[in-house]
Amino acid sequence: MNSLYFAAIINSTFRYATPVLFAALGSLLCSRGNVFNVALEGQMLAAAFAAIVINFYTKNMVLSILAAICAGLLVSSVVALFQIKLKAHDMVVGTTINLFIQSATAFLMQIVFGSRGMVQGHGMVSLTKIDLNFLSWSPFLYRAFENLSILDYASYIIAIIVYFYLFKTVRGFHLRSVGIRYNAAKSLGINSQKMQMNVVLISGILCGLGGVSLCMGGVTVFVENMTAGRGFIAMGASSMAQAHPIMAIFSSLFFGATISLSKTLQKVINSYFTETFPYICTILAITIYGAISKAKKKK
Amino acid sequence: MLIEMKNITKRYGSLVANDNVSITLKKGEILAIVGENGAGKSTLMKILYGLESYDSGEILINGKPVRFSSPYDAIKNSIGMVQQHFMLFPPFSAAENIVYGNEPRRGIFFDKKEAYRLVEELCRKYNLYIDPKIKVKDCSVGLQQRIEILKVLFQQVDIIIFDEPSAVLAPQEIDNFLQTVLDLKKAGKSIILITHKLNEVMAVADYVTVMRNGKVVKKMPKHETSIEELSYLMVGHHLEEREIEEIEPEEEILAVSNLTKTSPDGVKLLDDVNISVRRGEIVGIAGVSGNGQSELIQCISGLEHADSGKIVLNGIDVTNASVSAIREAGCACIPEDRYYWGSAAEASLEENCIMYHYQRKSELMKNGFLNSRNVSLFSETILKDFDVKHTSSSQSMKDLSGGNAQKLIVGREYMQNTPLLIAAEPTRGIDIGAIEYIHGRLLEKRQKKDAILLISSELSEIIELSDRIYVMCSGRINGEFSRDEATREKIGYLMMGGKNDDEM
Repeated sequence: MNSLYFAAIINSTFRYATPVLFAALGSLLCSRGNVFNVALEGQMLAAAFAAIVINFYTKNMVLSILAAICAGLLVSSVVALFQIKLKAHDMVVGTTINLFIQSATAFLMQIVFGSRGMVQGHGMVSLTKIDLNFLSWSPFLYRAFENLSILDYASYIIAIIVYFYLFKTVRGFHLRSVGIRYNAAKSLGINSQKMQMNVVLISGILCGLGGVSLCMGGVTVFVENMTAGRGFIAMGASSMAQAHPIMAIFSSLFFGATISLSKTLQKVINSYFTETFPYICTILAITIYGAISKAKKKK
Repeated sequence: MLIEMKNITKRYGSLVANDNVSITLKKGEILAIVGENGAGKSTLMKILYGLESYDSGEILINGKPVRFSSPYDAIKNSIGMVQQHFMLFPPFSAAENIVYGNEPRRGIFFDKKEAYRLVEELCRKYNLYIDPKIKVKDCSVGLQQRIEILKVLFQQVDIIIFDEPSAVLAPQEIDNFLQTVLDLKKAGKSIILITHKLNEVMAVADYVTVMRNGKVVKKMPKHETSIEELSYLMVGHHLEEREIEEIEPEEEILAVSNLTKTSPDGVKLLDDVNISVRRGEIVGIAGVSGNGQSELIQCISGLEHADSGKIVLNGIDVTNASVSAIREAGCACIPEDRYYWGSAAEASLEENCIMYHYQRKSELMKNGFLNSRNVSLFSETILKDFDVKHTSSSQSMKDLSGGNAQKLIVGREYMQNTPLLIAAEPTRGIDIGAIEYIHGRLLEKRQKKDAILLISSELSEIIELSDRIYVMCSGRINGEFSRDEATREKIGYLMMGGKNDDEM
């Protein structure tokens, strides 16, 4: 395998990792507040679709990003309402929303674009790319970091911001306390419920960014059910990172690599098998991780 | 008058929890509110602390009427509360817990260095020491309570409410706690102490208010009353002095020999433990909690496995056998935590009553089907015989008061009619009436020539009931006493690690 080919795999690893990282940050914030948010998938898919629709009509990147954020917020506010305010069961709320968004986006696609399956072209814009010209001395590094979008870089900055929020600010301290003992925090004057609802809304915004980087990060395209389980992979990434934002960068890159490999290997191995690769890795990683942390606890 | 609560009434449906209750507290005074469980004292304090609303009445602070809708309002009015169930976050440090809600900040950031400094300053001011960086999960219950107290003090309140503060503490921790209360009074704080331990009341209180069935029975200065009068007022009738008849113990039911268990991090939880329990005797195990008593009963009842040693129950070797095999061999167990081990809080009283019974009694279950009529009849017997105050047998366990929940569990285990009954902390945190009742039942079982193994961190309970007493310390049996030899001092000395033959 030549080294530029390897650099290309690294490059696509970065790109596939971004949506997972955004959603994983949303997921870990929720789990720090003891909210099990299963609807990340739906939040991301709705955001991606909203971005494409606005992109189609306005051809404006900023408006598309805003639309994605709004869609993510909208879906997450439904989660917050039912799951936190009305105390419905997390799995039921999450699964219902995921299924609903999956069919609703397919249906609206038919109405808005008059086509099924896939939308691309139409002069739609994609995210601004950053080229690191100062790396041009090394073709390998240049290729590895080529054509990454502003959101690819932003995801790492946001991960660091989330780290400071959780562990250095007073509000983050309160959020963690709500996650540890809801009623104790409440009895000490914290509006635990409001904190939980807010954290779900923040996960909506983050999934919005994830959705937009999914459909506008490379070639601008929307495919039916294009998140394809990335919301769930993100939950895996978050739990592997033990809900720690910096660790989540690495776990997301790991899952990004598995997705990237599965796309690469399609050329060699039957795609029916390679498509399952990221999910098998998710299961394996979580199983191995679970076994290790259990063994650690025993010690 | 610092606090006046006038004619407070609070109803829960048809139940009147507080019926026209009035209390007063002067500055610098320690007021004890005593009463049995369900007498309404906790409700009254929750109202004062803003955790519960009330239907009628008035609260005045320094003569001004106030109405609190949350603890936050109460804290602003200088009232703090140390609740029975600590409101701490185990993974956080002591300092983080203490400054919670009033964190020192630098911008939006939590200034932890300043928090450590403030906590150290607070510790010095009140002579209550704690390492600000220690994690709460690494603290003993006594230390956790100290953190709770420091937390309340950090809120700069003048009035501190303690709800059953000694229920979770070991004997010497209680002495420390009572000293702390007196120190706080000296520092100018006013204190409300809710308890049903009358010796604590006599040790620290200035005034005592007695509540029964949601009403105030009497308020009086401490020096005008006595433990006898208070217990009479609380229960509503005199408690009988109990005569414990001598019984000659018969054959051995439980023999534990050389039992050893080591924790994963190498601490000896049980170190060569040998005990024996015979028919017709109550054997007590005294010890500061956390010295191996829990592990011992968990090994005997099958919840934990021992590393080595032997347990023979009723002639059968049950070492490391399953829980059901051990129960089958003749052991019933009142576990130490009535909600964690002892019952299913969400399940109904009926379901809690028939646990394990249904597997053994064909009239309760046949071919995998429960006979609901017989289940009801059987449950009614337990609820009635063991005086469990309830509204319906289908209500859930968690709605019973602690004392009644405990009576149900005692009833269920008693009804197993096994030759051995393990009673672990059978009366922790429950009121005098229920304690007397449960003690009576244990003695009755002894009378029937069954064997009872009693574990309690309440030394007076051990001394009163036991025919023989083993003292445990650091996982070892540190001494053995017969009923006649046992004194508080001797046992206490061994509990702290002293040796039986040491000069005292």
